[in-house]
Amino acid sequence: MAGMMTVFRKELSDHLGSKRFLILFAIIILLSTLSAYQGADYIKNNPDAGFLAIFSGGRLAFSFISLMVYFGPLVGLALGFDSINKERTSGSLSVLLTYPIFRDSVFNGKFLAGVAAIASLVGGTIVIMCGVATPLLGFGPTLEQMVSIVALTLLTILYLAFWLSLGLLFSVLAKKTSTSMLASIATWLFSVMIVSVIAALVASLMVPLPFQPLGAPENFRGFGQATQTEEYRSLMQARSEIQTNIGRISPSNLYNEAASSILGLRASAFFVVGGMQQQIRPSLAQGIAASWPQVLAIFVGMLACFVISYLRFLRLEIRPGG
Amino acid sequence: MPERIIQTSGLTKIYGEVTAVDQLNLEVNEGEIFGFLGPNGSGKTTTILMLMGLTTPTSGTGRVGGYDIIKNSRDVRRIAGCLPEAAGYYEDLTAKENLDYFGQLADLPRVKREKRVNELLEFVGLGKWRDVKVEKFSRGMKQRLGIAQALIKDPKIIFLDEPTIGLDPQGTKEVRDLILRLNREQKLTVFLSSHLLHEVQQTCSRVGIIRQGKLIATDTIENLSRGIAKEEGYCVEFELDKVTRRLIEEIKTVKGVTSVEEEGGKLLVYMERDNRADVSRAITKYGATILLMKPREYTLEEIFLRYYKGAG
Ligand SMILES: Nc1ncnc2c1ncn2[C@@H]1O[C@H](COP(=O)(O)OP(=O)(O)O)[C@@H](O)[C@H]1O
Ligand SMILES: [Mg+2]
Repeated sequence: MAGMMTVFRKELSDHLGSKRFLILFAIIILLSTLSAYQGADYIKNNPDAGFLAIFSGGRLAFSFISLMVYFGPLVGLALGFDSINKERTSGSLSVLLTYPIFRDSVFNGKFLAGVAAIASLVGGTIVIMCGVATPLLGFGPTLEQMVSIVALTLLTILYLAFWLSLGLLFSVLAKKTSTSMLASIATWLFSVMIVSVIAALVASLMVPLPFQPLGAPENFRGFGQATQTEEYRSLMQARSEIQTNIGRISPSNLYNEAASSILGLRASAFFVVGGMQQQIRPSLAQGIAASWPQVLAIFVGMLACFVISYLRFLRLEIRPGG
Repeated sequence: MPERIIQTSGLTKIYGEVTAVDQLNLEVNEGEIFGFLGPNGSGKTTTILMLMGLTTPTSGTGRVGGYDIIKNSRDVRRIAGCLPEAAGYYEDLTAKENLDYFGQLADLPRVKREKRVNELLEFVGLGKWRDVKVEKFSRGMKQRLGIAQALIKDPKIIFLDEPTIGLDPQGTKEVRDLILRLNREQKLTVFLSSHLLHEVQQTCSRVGIIRQGKLIATDTIENLSRGIAKEEGYCVEFELDKVTRRLIEEIKTVKGVTSVEEEGGKLLVYMERDNRADVSRAITKYGATILLMKPREYTLEEIFLRYYKGAG
């Protein structure tokens, strides 16, 4: 552990003072506060929505969750993508390693500093959101809702930490920061956009619909009727299942699903009673239990990136200038 | 018998097909400035990296300050400072902040660290620049910061890998003066790698010459010079008030003289053994006056080239 705390402290203060981090932090705080206002508005008009709705949004196109789905990866990647290779090219890494510290302390210190920066960003944002919404609503979260909020915070930190460790992996594998930056942007686009497009494409190829939905207006009438059939509904069901399953290779979708479960937004088969889909809000425990597979998947992804980059880093030939 | 601060035996590093360092047996004494001389790619950096524990040797062993470079590499790094090749610093931190960070990594307690950082900044002449970000520094200033960095752990020995590369003459002189002062005032052992002959000649008490990973000679510069003299035969340089072709012919007839060369108004007389008496008698007899007579010294450049060709 020699030197780990030293590296941790330096890296953390670098992060918290870096323009990169502060800009992302400012954007996220700004948008989150806006979404908390909108959420509070929505709750006022829909009294049974509950306090947690400030995170899932009202009428605005974005919510805390969608913000994290799309911007979260950038935060994690921005904190990690040049962490190792920048120091390698500048030559400060070879100086650093002439000190009586273990090489893994350097890596662990950097990773933990990234996680701490992420935790302060996520925690800070959520606290501010609650602080904005509570006076507007005139009431705060119940105890159970507070536990949900803590669970959501931890989940979001995990999700961003996944992207951090992916960024670190790129920074260990690529010698140039420009390469690792491109790789980061590519995986970000892949996760938040490309996977969904591919999933929709594959689903439509695998489950073709028996007719063309577009055409002359008289066909349209038929189309309307056709969509009412049992067969059509089951085809659409199959499509959406395929789409969801393919979508799960994207950590963003996993996070989205898990966060929705924790906030009690996802009705699962569990709540289908007597053939009728009940509008029962799942309990806290049920929500957390339902989010478990996705949480595990994100965690495993993070661990895999961490272990690979850790091992690569330990064997790295530290030579100045490359 | 001086204390050996570095000792390696059979130290070898192979990268794929390339043997970067080949069976190196190196000995460096405490208190000396040891010059590690060799052209680019001869294995100097690799040797330093192995000694500091930044890369593992393929085979062989070594000790620095009594600690095994593989098993006790952390102890080596506790007592040895290093300015690596192409070293860099944290550009958006000030000189003081950089040194403070390194001081923390060297486990210096806060009060001692602050004192040492200030002392070192003064020592390398960066006192006025302590609160300026390193991104504003010139190469020479960065290199002096690097020396301060290497000294922060109060080491027994420092490794400097080509410390003056890329510096202007002024920067080179500053670095050289610092090295000499450290050695003189603090009795610090310095291991200096370089491909520049005159740099080594100006600072080092002993040199090791490395070529394609092999150590081909280690000795003081005088001894290396003498070694060549032995091979080349004895050579004396004469400065005379007048030099004529007849005089040269005359000297050539002296017993033991193998050849005479005229070089910039001076005469270089090569002999099988020291026969200065007969040569000077012949010169005086001819009517010329000897203004200066001294045994020919070899420049390090000549020594260096000779070893390089010789080992070819
Ligand atoms: N990581 C590496 N992989 C392969 N070859 C290397 C590596 N590092 C150094 N070398 C080779 O090892 C030899 C010695 O290099 P180096 O120690 O840097 O020499 P010097 O410092 O004397 O210029 C060179 O031929 C270089 O090409
Ligand atoms: Mg080198």
